[in-house]
Amino acid sequence: MIVPYSHVLALAGIVFLMGMVCTVTRRNLIMILLGLEIMLNAGALALVGASLRWMSMDGQAMALFIIVVAAAEVSVGLALIVCVYRRTGSVDPNFTETAAPEKPSV
Amino acid sequence: MTTTATLSDPNVATTLAACAAPLLAFAAIFLGARRFARLSAGLSIGAVTVSLAGAVFLLAANWHAEAPQVFSASWLVSDAVRIPVGVLLDPISLLMMTVVAVICFLVQIYSLGYMAGDPGFSRYYGFMSLFAWAMLSLTLSSSLFQLYVFWELVGLSSYLLIGFWYEKFSASQAGKKAFVMTRAGDVAFMLGLFVLLVGAGTLDVTAVNGPAAARMNPSLITLSALLIFGGIVGKSAQFPLLTWLPDAMEGPTPVSALLHSATMVAAGVFLFARLFPFFRQSPAAMGVFLVIGTVSMLLSSTMAMVSRDIKQVWAYSTISQLGFMIMGLAAGSFFAGVFHLTTHAGFKALLFLCSGVVIHALDTNDMFEIARKKGRRLKLAMICMTLAAAALAGIPPLSGFFSKESILAALAALDNPIWLAAALLGVLLTAYYAFRLIFIILFPRPELVQPESGRGHGSGHGAGTAMGSALVVLAAATLALGFAAAPLARFLSGDPAAAHPGPHLPWLPYAGIGLAAGGLLLAWFEFGRPAADQKGFVERVPALAALFANRWYIDVFYARLISRLVDRGLAWLCAKTDQRVIDAGLDAASKHIIRSSGVLSALQSGMIQHRLLVLFAVVVMLGLYFIA
Repeated sequence: MIVPYSHVLALAGIVFLMGMVCTVTRRNLIMILLGLEIMLNAGALALVGASLRWMSMDGQAMALFIIVVAAAEVSVGLALIVCVYRRTGSVDPNFTETAAPEKPSV
Repeated sequence: MTTTATLSDPNVATTLAACAAPLLAFAAIFLGARRFARLSAGLSIGAVTVSLAGAVFLLAANWHAEAPQVFSASWLVSDAVRIPVGVLLDPISLLMMTVVAVICFLVQIYSLGYMAGDPGFSRYYGFMSLFAWAMLSLTLSSSLFQLYVFWELVGLSSYLLIGFWYEKFSASQAGKKAFVMTRAGDVAFMLGLFVLLVGAGTLDVTAVNGPAAARMNPSLITLSALLIFGGIVGKSAQFPLLTWLPDAMEGPTPVSALLHSATMVAAGVFLFARLFPFFRQSPAAMGVFLVIGTVSMLLSSTMAMVSRDIKQVWAYSTISQLGFMIMGLAAGSFFAGVFHLTTHAGFKALLFLCSGVVIHALDTNDMFEIARKKGRRLKLAMICMTLAAAALAGIPPLSGFFSKESILAALAALDNPIWLAAALLGVLLTAYYAFRLIFIILFPRPELVQPESGRGHGSGHGAGTAMGSALVVLAAATLALGFAAAPLARFLSGDPAAAHPGPHLPWLPYAGIGLAAGGLLLAWFEFGRPAADQKGFVERVPALAALFANRWYIDVFYARLISRLVDRGLAWLCAKTDQRVIDAGLDAASKHIIRSSGVLSALQSGMIQHRLLVLFAVVVMLGLYFIA
């Protein structure tokens, strides 16, 4: 392994932090979902690095799981965001909390 | 000194029966007999007859008794505190009990005529019984605590009777005034009892008068004597609490007779006599009592000189005579004060009952109005009233002369002649105002007399049998009591010479008679003689007349004081407290709550990202914690 594991961990940590900052600060549900994805991927990155470091497949299997879960999560999350947008006309997370839900137009 | 009696002792049994009978009558009237007027009156008069018989029996049986008798039982025992109730039979209590029973009896007989047809007839007799019970029990109390209880009951029943015609605004006001003003004195009385209890450790009358007080600190004795005297000032309407008594005539006239002679106001002087040996241990307090007695005596005499209301004149004279009694007692003569209390009870009851007859027949309180309506035609009442007024003025050979003379003798024994001079001035004024009233009624100015009284019930019915008989008995007592001075002195103090306390001054009786006659002549000159214009010398000076008629502005002073102290002082303070402390405090508290909740609500912004932030922060912190 050419790249030392500590560098991998540092990169994963930086990516995780960027995802976290994105999740906390953006005022857009889509961008928040994006932040979550980035955090998941940062975790996956750390796992892949670890599987290389210890020469074990467990970490890569775990990363595959994470990618699957993230894909499912994105689809469900995006569906929810579309739903929210339909009901409130906004993708602002604060607005969805405070605005009174309109009557379903269906 | 004292002998302890048991319940089976005939004296004690009689006493208890005499005391309990009016209470039972009161209970019976208010529990059941109230709807039957005649039954109520019968019950009440029957009860007071029992009391009278008991009192006379006790007085006769103990006329030669050697030592006071005490019967005492525990009423309340709590740890080390034991509150006794009991009966104390000694000369002063026996004499007072008899006086009270006699006056109550006569007044109740008299009321049969006076109150006939009143819608509250039964209620009247119920209250009368309560009054009789409270006063009889007060005189016989063996401890000051018990005495205080009955003292308050006397105050309560006089409140009920003064405000008997409660539909009348002035009557209910007068009742309240009497109650509140005497209560002001009673607070001092109670504090005095506490001081006494702390200092002497007992409230037992015989102990307080004897050994217990001797152990007390002299300044404590003075303090408690002065405080207890506060109660006497309130009850006996002395300066400065004297204004309730003239208003108390709003009640039915027989009530005034009872109130002014044997009960209520007499209770104050009785308490003084009761604790006389105790009070005498503090010369400073006795000096204060002497001043207060003198001031009340002179003040109320001047008020009586200008009043037009017949009952009010007698009310002022009561204050003045009570002042005389307190002067006599404070001068150190136990007998003089008690003797005057006894004779005064007789002639003052007579004065009020006569006034009652006149008022009943002519329907007015104003003396000029009575003269105009030919009040002199009510022969029996007018004869008795003149007799009683002469006794009040101290004309021999009536009872008032003897008792007043013994007070003068007691005052003459004092070093400072000013007290004697004040008392002699009082004698002059008393004779003047008493006969001013009599002459105004007896000799109306001819041009003012109604030609023929159109009122059918004018002079015609006068005093009925019931009312007349009470008058005759009291008039006989007024005539005879004066000659009982020596036996009474022997009974009260075991020494017949006590009737003439102090140095023997041969000129003193003549001075008394001379001044009384002077007052009488002055009254004759101004009101009695045919050419008189019936205007007193006081009324020629309008400022003085206004001062006297307004009771020296004592009431005005009280009203001002109360409005200053209560309305402006206390109420202002309360309003400010309300605004500045309570309102402002609430405002400030709510303001701060709002502000702090604003701070706290920042945590609960409801933003999902804030929650996430907190979540991350916590996880990072936990991670750091576990790694480090």
